[in-house]
Amino acid sequence: VLDRGARRAAKATRVGRAISIAAFDERARANLANDAAVARHDAAAWSLRAKRDAAARDVPDFEALRTRAAAIKDHVLDHLDGYLERFEERAVAAGAVVHWAPDARAACEIVERVLREGGATRVAKSKSMLTEECGLNAWLEARGFEVIDTDLGERIVQLGHEPPSHLIVPAIHRTRAEIAALFERTMGAPPGETDPDRLMRLARADLRARFLAAEAGITGANFAVADSGSLVLVTNEGNADLGTSLPPLHVACVGIEKLVPTLDDAGVFLRLLARSATGQPISAYTTILTGPRPGGALHVVLVDNGRSRLLASDTHRRALRCIRCGACLNTCPVYRRAGGHAYGTPVAGPIGAVLAPAHPSASANALPYASSLCGSCTAVCPVKIDLHEQLLAWRREAPALPPSMARAARLAAAVFARPRLYRAAARVARLAWPLIGRRSARNPAAAWLASRELPQHPGESFRTRWLRARGAPR
Amino acid sequence: MNARESVLAAVRRGVRRTAAHPGPHLVPSLDAGFDAFAARLAGAGGEARLVARAALAREVETLASAWADGGRVVAEPSAAAELAGASFEIARDADPASYADVAVAIARGAVGVAENGAVAVLGADAPHRSLLFLAERVLLLLDADAIVGDLHTGLRALPEDALRHHHVTWIAGPSKSADIEQALVFGAHGPRALVVFVVA
Repeated sequence: VLDRGARRAAKATRVGRAISIAAFDERARANLANDAAVARHDAAAWSLRAKRDAAARDVPDFEALRTRAAAIKDHVLDHLDGYLERFEERAVAAGAVVHWAPDARAACEIVERVLREGGATRVAKSKSMLTEECGLNAWLEARGFEVIDTDLGERIVQLGHEPPSHLIVPAIHRTRAEIAALFERTMGAPPGETDPDRLMRLARADLRARFLAAEAGITGANFAVADSGSLVLVTNEGNADLGTSLPPLHVACVGIEKLVPTLDDAGVFLRLLARSATGQPISAYTTILTGPRPGGALHVVLVDNGRSRLLASDTHRRALRCIRCGACLNTCPVYRRAGGHAYGTPVAGPIGAVLAPAHPSASANALPYASSLCGSCTAVCPVKIDLHEQLLAWRREAPALPPSMARAARLAAAVFARPRLYRAAARVARLAWPLIGRRSARNPAAAWLASRELPQHPGESFRTRWLRARGAPR
Repeated sequence: MNARESVLAAVRRGVRRTAAHPGPHLVPSLDAGFDAFAARLAGAGGEARLVARAALAREVETLASAWADGGRVVAEPSAAAELAGASFEIARDADPASYADVAVAIARGAVGVAENGAVAVLGADAPHRSLLFLAERVLLLLDADAIVGDLHTGLRALPEDALRHHHVTWIAGPSKSADIEQALVFGAHGPRALVVFVVA
């Protein structure tokens, strides 16, 4: 029986709730109802994609880096037990305490215990997708801790009581007017103050006081260096640095896939990460921490929570290469239009749809269907995860189509397998094209067309053109 | 079975032991000049100034006092040692919160990277780490010949004992955020400005 905190944690992360394609559809549709918001979100994500492209062209060895990064990750995953033990040994030698958490609940319990033993109730937290995944905030808040998210975007969604909608830009779905209204309500911002610089200053002043009052800082880690027991933290704001240099207690929650063998290997990923995420050649702060700060304590929680299940799958283990840069979200035509909240998972977009079905509780997860399989995600992934192949593989392994779509798929398969029937059907379709695309309630495809446009068809089939070209004199 | 053993046992069921480490990345030869470094740092919202060793203390003092406008200017001992004649407060307080009202922080950087404008500040040179993130503005000192072309070379150029100290911090420009409608703002939490004095 779950207690209240665990129920809230489960709710916050949607753990235990199967995600049907209907649920995705419903949430995406709510987003699509607002044309201006869709256009703005689309443009915001695409501008990050464009910056990523420019940054990738800017270095001569970007493709070589991608290949090497993938190879390093594959090597680490293939020897992960040894690297975890090595990291533990080195981190302990540097003065850290290392904990192991098989699942989200264990991770929450460990952090709670460490905070209690350290006498900490006020916590400054830096951005960490792992703690989102574990529902750590809800767990701690239900037990009387004050947990403040200190990344500006994370703070915005925390004040708005909503989950982040993007890996790197948590409040990408919010306009400045909405943020202004939120700050007016929660921080006493002057009415109508929509200037980003002044809004940021308000949040900064509020958070500065909380940093100084915090008794513990919780962070994730972008990389954990096995050779030295170091953690690498990357931020643009410096919030992870304040959160780890001011309070005496630092708790770092680290997914077991974050290991890299050496600092030299971390360099390969650091050259890719910011370029892929925001188009910056590096983030403002890249901090390598080894052991606790003088006079302080460092606890590292190594979290599995389904990762070892992915590792055991020949197909899906590649998803563990992910460095959470968000490039696949920015380029995804489905993410850009549906918005991150449509996914209902801690991580949205293609990588979210690839990671979600691996969760033990997500047997009927339909997110892999929320994709056009266009492969754009695969093309930009800095660690070369074959994301669209992964999505297709999940569809085969865990089919989750609603009956009507499954019937349509079976019908299409039957037609595709019979060339003469296919050609006849295609002829009919060409004739009926204007009817198929008509926006009318009587059209059986009306629901499908509500957010899509039928493309122009070329007037004749490829086969017709091919036969004509072959028969034509040279 | 305890949690450690159960995680490791689950991991061991998945490892294949086939993929070899690909070896160190072969680094392309990138421009390691001051201009390349300065351009990248400017792109990150910071500024690099080339200065002669003899003029360093005066230049740093002039900028620091203009920025501070009567507020606290605090230098890490390692930086203060090479700014003879200039009058700064030297960081001595072990309480990290004691630097909350600092206007300008001064620290020594060990390595600069031209491809991204980042400067490595070593734990040995900056033991009062919070100072770098609490100050309104930060001044870093860097030797011109400590600029390298790329980050790999930069990481390899760190002193051997760098990771025996609590931190190594790569700083590329001031604190920044684009979380409100992608509008870039400086000073999200920490410094609003950063100048690197490159000593020739």
